[in-house]
Amino acid sequence: MGGRAVIALLIINKAGGLIYNRTFGEGLNQLNSNDYLVLAGTFHGVHAITARLNPLREHQAAHYYAQQQQYQHSASGSLGGASSSGGGGGGGSQGGPLPSRPEPPSGLEVMETENFRLQCFNTQTGTKFLLFTDTMQANVDVAMRKVYELYADYVMKNPFYQLEMPVRCDMFDRKLNSYIREINNSR
Amino acid sequence: MPVQVFSFYIFDRHSHGGGAYRDSRSAATRAKDDAKLIFGTVFSLRNMVRKLGGDDDAFISYRTAQYKLHYYETPSSLRFAMLTEPGALSMRNVLHQIYINLWVEYVVKNPLSPVEHKNGDGVRNEMFEMGLDKRDEGGPASLNRGATDAASV
Amino acid sequence: MSSMTPTKGKEQPGLRYPSNGKTIYHRPLNRSKTSELSQASFAYLFSEMVQYASKRIESIQDLEKRLNTQGHPIGLKLLDLLLHREPARTQTRPLTIITLLHLIKQQLWTHLFGRAADGLEKSSDPARPDEYMIIDNEPLVNRYISVPRDMSQLNCAAFVAGIIEGVCDGSAFPARVTAHSVGKQQAAPAADGGEDSGEGKEMWPGRTVFLVKFAPEVLERESFLGKG
Repeated sequence: MGGRAVIALLIINKAGGLIYNRTFGEGLNQLNSNDYLVLAGTFHGVHAITARLNPLREHQAAHYYAQQQQYQHSASGSLGGASSSGGGGGGGSQGGPLPSRPEPPSGLEVMETENFRLQCFNTQTGTKFLLFTDTMQANVDVAMRKVYELYADYVMKNPFYQLEMPVRCDMFDRKLNSYIREINNSR
Repeated sequence: MPVQVFSFYIFDRHSHGGGAYRDSRSAATRAKDDAKLIFGTVFSLRNMVRKLGGDDDAFISYRTAQYKLHYYETPSSLRFAMLTEPGALSMRNVLHQIYINLWVEYVVKNPLSPVEHKNGDGVRNEMFEMGLDKRDEGGPASLNRGATDAASV
Repeated sequence: MSSMTPTKGKEQPGLRYPSNGKTIYHRPLNRSKTSELSQASFAYLFSEMVQYASKRIESIQDLEKRLNTQGHPIGLKLLDLLLHREPARTQTRPLTIITLLHLIKQQLWTHLFGRAADGLEKSSDPARPDEYMIIDNEPLVNRYISVPRDMSQLNCAAFVAGIIEGVCDGSAFPARVTAHSVGKQQAAPAADGGEDSGEGKEMWPGRTVFLVKFAPEVLERESFLGKG
């Protein structure tokens, strides 16, 4: 079958609009531009739902609540001059350990199908990078990191790029192409 | 290593969230909502995959940092969805086995079982439920038997 | 913990002093080893400068003019600093065009970009003896910039051209300096001489020529000097 390869990259802005779309190799059907827009919007919605579906959310919320209770209890205890707080782990002079907030649910990160693999990286600001690869492609994390770096450099530092608008930056295209070619040729 | 299974859904071809519904810690209302959301998600992803990967492509699973959803669709458009811990390996075989050994054996071959599970009444089939429970035996104790209540979408 | 309390009560609103009291003005002028800046922060700053200059412009020339104006005072001031940093014997103002351009190519470029410029050429056109070209294959200021198609004549290195112009003006060689992209298909109008052969275009898509056009009196003076 086809070798390991990065097939395509989509970038979706925080409102669910498609701002970048590039195909690097064979393996996926080519859609028309409208279908890509729809696809981006759909994925944006699905991503939000997959984040909500966290089966452990109540468990984690309860855990957090319990921790917070304990923290407040021990903090008020030490304020009152009590000698030892039940908190244990915390090294500071404060009461118990600070309650650790549960990780915010991530939403879809990897999707697998029979023909391809989709990795999604959601930045802190809500921009989504979708990297479509062959099912066998390794180290997609590294590639994703690099793509994000290129985006931060050649898109965000470009004075002519307007936020949330479609990405039309020659430099980004060029650097991205040569990087992906490098990956696809070194199998 | 037993895999922690959070919940398991079967949707029939009318998208009725039928079948065995179970969840480790669940309120019935939440379960219903979740079934709707899961069906929507799975349905959208499946269509997306077909659009991109061609009609012969099939959606297998997706993973978030908190859980992993495994999907299996039978030729009769019966859809199985199972939520497990995120590190779990592919559960495709397990879903397939559930279909072959439990669904076909106890539901399809049961003359009293309705052909279509309308209105999200659920499967309510003792043998099938028992079979599922047996599969769970290796699982952690926290996986209680949830409501057999089924949600309709 | 307690050591982190402010040392003196001389805090002024809006100004922040390093805890040891040494500001940039306390540093010796000659030390240039550790004066590197983050390229990312420069890129963001420059991006904002270009955006600021793009507001309410009427033409691309307008924008380039504004960038040029931003760079000009930097050049004037840098000239003093660069000459100050020269060894004592050579600490003189450049007196000929060649020494001036050499100062720009070497000292100025190294100070600004950490390397010398890639080329220095005199216009081969006999009709334009007042034109010189400083060539940079990959201008640092353009590192992250993709110019939109509808502004294709624009080269943001006009800012650097402004700096060069400042240096020239400061050393009493009044000149007009403009930046032209020659990496892409279209060659800059003035750089059509035979020097710029095709092979450089593929390798350096961002190749930029800074065209230095000296004022007539400079050439006049230069010819007198040449005789003497």
